[in-house]
Amino acid sequence: MKTIQSLDEILERRIVVCVGTGGVGKTTLAAALSVEAARRGRRALVVTIDPAKRLAGALGLNALEAEPQALPDSTLIDLGIETKQRLFAMMLDTQATFDGLVRKLAPAPEAQKRIFENPIYRHVSRNLAGSGEYAAMEKVFELLESTEFDLIVLDTPPAQNAVDFLDAPIRLLEFIESRLVRGLVQPALAAGRKGFRWFEGPTRRMLDLLERLIGVGFLRDLSDFLLAFESLSEGFADRAKQVRETLLGPDSAFLLVTGASRQTVQNAESFLDHLESQALPLAGLLINRMRLWPAGIAADSFKPGGDATDTPDLLTLRQAFERSHPEPQAAALAESARAVANQYNGWVNQDQENIEPLRKRAQDRGLFVRCLAERAGDVHDALGLRALSEELFDASAQDCHQ
Amino acid sequence: MTAEPSSFFTRRIIVVTGKGGTGKTTVSATLGLAAAHHGLSTLLVEVGAFEQLPRLITGRAEEPVGYRGRLLQPGIQAIRIEPFAALAEYLGLQIGSRRLVAQALRNRSLRQLLRGAPGWRELITLGKIWQLEQMEGPNGNPLYDLIIVDAPATGHGLTFLDIPHVARSAVQSGPLARNARRVEELIRDPKRTQILPVSLAEELPAQETGELVQRLRHDLGLVPDQVIVNAVAPPLPCPDPAELEQSLRRLQGDLPLTQLPQPESLADAVAHTSARHRLNQAYLIEIAERTGLPLVVLPLLDHGVNGPVELEALRPALIESGQGPGIVPPREPAS
Repeated sequence: MKTIQSLDEILERRIVVCVGTGGVGKTTLAAALSVEAARRGRRALVVTIDPAKRLAGALGLNALEAEPQALPDSTLIDLGIETKQRLFAMMLDTQATFDGLVRKLAPAPEAQKRIFENPIYRHVSRNLAGSGEYAAMEKVFELLESTEFDLIVLDTPPAQNAVDFLDAPIRLLEFIESRLVRGLVQPALAAGRKGFRWFEGPTRRMLDLLERLIGVGFLRDLSDFLLAFESLSEGFADRAKQVRETLLGPDSAFLLVTGASRQTVQNAESFLDHLESQALPLAGLLINRMRLWPAGIAADSFKPGGDATDTPDLLTLRQAFERSHPEPQAAALAESARAVANQYNGWVNQDQENIEPLRKRAQDRGLFVRCLAERAGDVHDALGLRALSEELFDASAQDCHQ
Repeated sequence: MTAEPSSFFTRRIIVVTGKGGTGKTTVSATLGLAAAHHGLSTLLVEVGAFEQLPRLITGRAEEPVGYRGRLLQPGIQAIRIEPFAALAEYLGLQIGSRRLVAQALRNRSLRQLLRGAPGWRELITLGKIWQLEQMEGPNGNPLYDLIIVDAPATGHGLTFLDIPHVARSAVQSGPLARNARRVEELIRDPKRTQILPVSLAEELPAQETGELVQRLRHDLGLVPDQVIVNAVAPPLPCPDPAELEQSLRRLQGDLPLTQLPQPESLADAVAHTSARHRLNQAYLIEIAERTGLPLVVLPLLDHGVNGPVELEALRPALIESGQGPGIVPPREPAS
């Protein structure tokens, strides 16, 4: 597989997965990537996790829905996308995905009803941690199967749940293929406890143990649930396998998104460990929300503290201000400018120091690294999203080194 | 803006939750230091795969504390609740034979089932927290005066807290139902447990914190005492940022500066810093309005939060922003 050298090449893949810890701006960056892809004529879909109202607004939509919606022409124009192109957005909805799957794979209305009314199904599909990741895999499969989109940009749940998201297909497969589950879906079991006699050895002992610990009622509900799902389970396994193959294959690319704070960077490093241990096709690193000086200003040209050493600069500024301001205002302005500059420079240096180990590690592994400056506010309209997208793909942009 | 928060240390358990990236771990660690500082025997609980608290508390790389836990410094014990280890311990107690359980948990089928099965990790983790709350020291007092849980991020965090209820409605009777009920009672008992949302003064965290507090009220019947708002940008180190920015922009051309950036870049830095400050202030108001709760504001530190020095710097803002420290002595043993 060809190594990806830049963000531009990422857009040529079939699926781009943005991973990273929470609060680093993954969702907005995923949207910005899809905007650029659409601008280049690819039919792109951004699939988000966060139901961020402002992002929906920036995409010209009232709210993100559980199925792909096309952006209106007026928004495409604001985003700098020709109106003959198309850009789609949607949000993952666990419940809707599960229900859709049941409807698709259990066509008989009675079978559907039985599943929908099963208490365990209701809990699994609505409440339980992990069901979101399963549902995401299902939706991704469905989207990959469709030929409607050239590129799918996928946002993932934050932090450790993103690891879960990646591991979900394996765990799902193991769950479905486990002998205990196979045992529980045996029709005989639905009739009651005598079903356990079908099993011998360790599996039998395990079922006895489970029953002793949990209680008979629960096991019966569970076996009903699994029975109801029996017709679906083959589909589940095949789909999960295919999604995993696609995610590991040449059509996909993973982007690790991080912020610049010390803890965020440390989390990103843990993430990198995990991605590498899973041999996932990580293509690059996006470091978001960096505090940077404009291009050409080296942070280290400031002297530490900067109190005595920049006295000549202070005088220069003061004289410049004196042309429009009387003293003592001019002196006060110069002093203020220096104070703000020193504070800001401290932040810039801090961020550089924080990201350095991660940046170096990524570069040593041949990953491309792209830094983005912290913005004053959130992206809240199409023009803001366009500006972010343009900044992301600005070929002349500085690299992360100040 | 900041109202008077009621005391942090009147409960046995603080569950620190909030959107990812808001600083839950920082707040947990700061609370831990503060509690230990006031003489409380404190337990810090991590539930994620990566341990972060020990490094933050001691300021150096730490060997994992793991499920056995370790004393990080006098008064601060840390543990990471690993679901498989907790399950083995629980089953050992239920069945009365560790050997049998160890053998059972080596069973490939059961391991596969457990890896895929949703929900049990959260339940067993909360069960362990319940057990830790019950533990007694040699004198019959609670072994831990305060247990601080660095909980998962919001969406999953709420699921985490609601699991005992889910389990109880799925399983009507039997040992699991009994245990789930005890855990649920602990989580929902405002005298013993405090849920502490952590937010940032930015759009998405503000929105999510509002939803979290609504859902805590509605789904769990819990009303947090306060919301922590972390990393709020300080005012600029100058009296009138707008005037400074304008004056810098009015300076024509480049100046012969040796170290400071040119006026235009300086003006950009002023504008940016000032905009961040205004943004934070606006979202502070929004969080207060959305939640109807008092806010405890933690400042953005210049050099980030890297260890005990910064935690110590945050401690007064966290603890002393209300009416005094509000510390109560460890509870008397039940009579």
